[in-house]
Amino acid sequence: MNIIFSFVPVILLLTFLFLLDSFNLVRVKTLVLCLFWGVACATCGFFLNKSIQNLIELDFSFYSRYMAPVIEECLKATFIFYLISKKKIGFIIDGAIYGFAIGAGFSVLENIYYLFQSPPEYNLLTWIIRGVGTAVMHGGCTSFFAILFVGAISRSENRILAFLPGLLLAILFHSGFNHFPFNPVLQTLLILLLLPFAFVLVFSLSNAKLQKWLEIEFNSEVEILNMIRKGDFGSTKAGKYLKSLKEQFTSETIFDMYCYIDLYLELSIKAKRNLMLKENEFPIIVEDDLQLKLTELTQLRKQIGKIGELALAPLIRMNYRNLWKLNQLN
Amino acid sequence: MNVQVSTSADYTVVCVDGRVDTTNASELEKSMLEVIEGGGTKIILDCSGLNYISSSGLRVFLVIQKKLMLLKGQFRLCSLQPGIKEIFDISGFSSIFSLFADTEAAMNG
Repeated sequence: MNIIFSFVPVILLLTFLFLLDSFNLVRVKTLVLCLFWGVACATCGFFLNKSIQNLIELDFSFYSRYMAPVIEECLKATFIFYLISKKKIGFIIDGAIYGFAIGAGFSVLENIYYLFQSPPEYNLLTWIIRGVGTAVMHGGCTSFFAILFVGAISRSENRILAFLPGLLLAILFHSGFNHFPFNPVLQTLLILLLLPFAFVLVFSLSNAKLQKWLEIEFNSEVEILNMIRKGDFGSTKAGKYLKSLKEQFTSETIFDMYCYIDLYLELSIKAKRNLMLKENEFPIIVEDDLQLKLTELTQLRKQIGKIGELALAPLIRMNYRNLWKLNQLN
Repeated sequence: MNVQVSTSADYTVVCVDGRVDTTNASELEKSMLEVIEGGGTKIILDCSGLNYISSSGLRVFLVIQKKLMLLKGQFRLCSLQPGIKEIFDISGFSSIFSLFADTEAAMNG
């Protein structure tokens, strides 16, 4: 019974979140990696916490309230950093699920350790509190870190500090939980009732945003690409803007910019098509020349240079989400 | 948008006129699902009057395609205007759906 309560609730909640991902943004392989990362963090955290505690000889309750949350949340957050740096997370939904999986992996190992230790004062209620409260808290903290981090980098260009609000909130929430401000049973109940509700709310908002993004961008991109292919691009606002750049750039660069816009739009439309196919559980289409086109886009981007890219920003902005979108084609 | 449903031989022909976008894609989905619920598993979507389709419309097509595939049915699109056909070609959806020149070709195809 103890085993069931120690890790089944958190895995059930992770499955529930996974099922909420209607666009199938989450890759199972990455999800499993997240779980293993959580397990690795718990192992690392255990030894790190022990070493620091021995080194500075702090009172256990002080340490668990103020030091352990910082170390554990930082460790768990690193994999989210990695996934974001590799453009593997596109929206709040997949970020939240990956984050929760890391926390779930962490709590599973932590609870297995306590199961083997099996302190005499631990009864079934303790296991329920550990399995439902502590485990879900671990998942929730990393998940909300990922939500805030992805939200911040999608909005701003400043990626260096974008992680800070999320990390601070995760540490504060974790530390607050370890203070046990309420009766542990009540605290567990609150987590169990509020967290899934918060996830459903965040996911439905993010889903609506994703659909809007898909709708607006897809239509305008198809329209512009259609004009380019028909040779009518020059008469559009975007075409006129590109023409206006002639004075600042060489004709070769302008030509590269034209090719860059054409290729970017084509690849962007295909990335969105694949997203729509995934949403409806169709196999995604990988064209034979896709890799060549992606390489060509990278090459064109280099040839245009940073200044050229800045000049093209009103037409195409290589922000985080656009890079993620193209990465999905790989 | 205007949707008309008729039955011809084994097929249910759904004619869609006008624009299919975010505002009315759900209406088209509802009409198509009603056809499927009514037992129509071989559907031809006559797009001769369709002059605009957004990604919401394409997603409705995917939903119907998926439903009919599960029911071992058929979903065929015909008489696409050049502009709409271009969207299918550019996005690569041409390889997902069965496209035909007209209703007759769709029935015989």
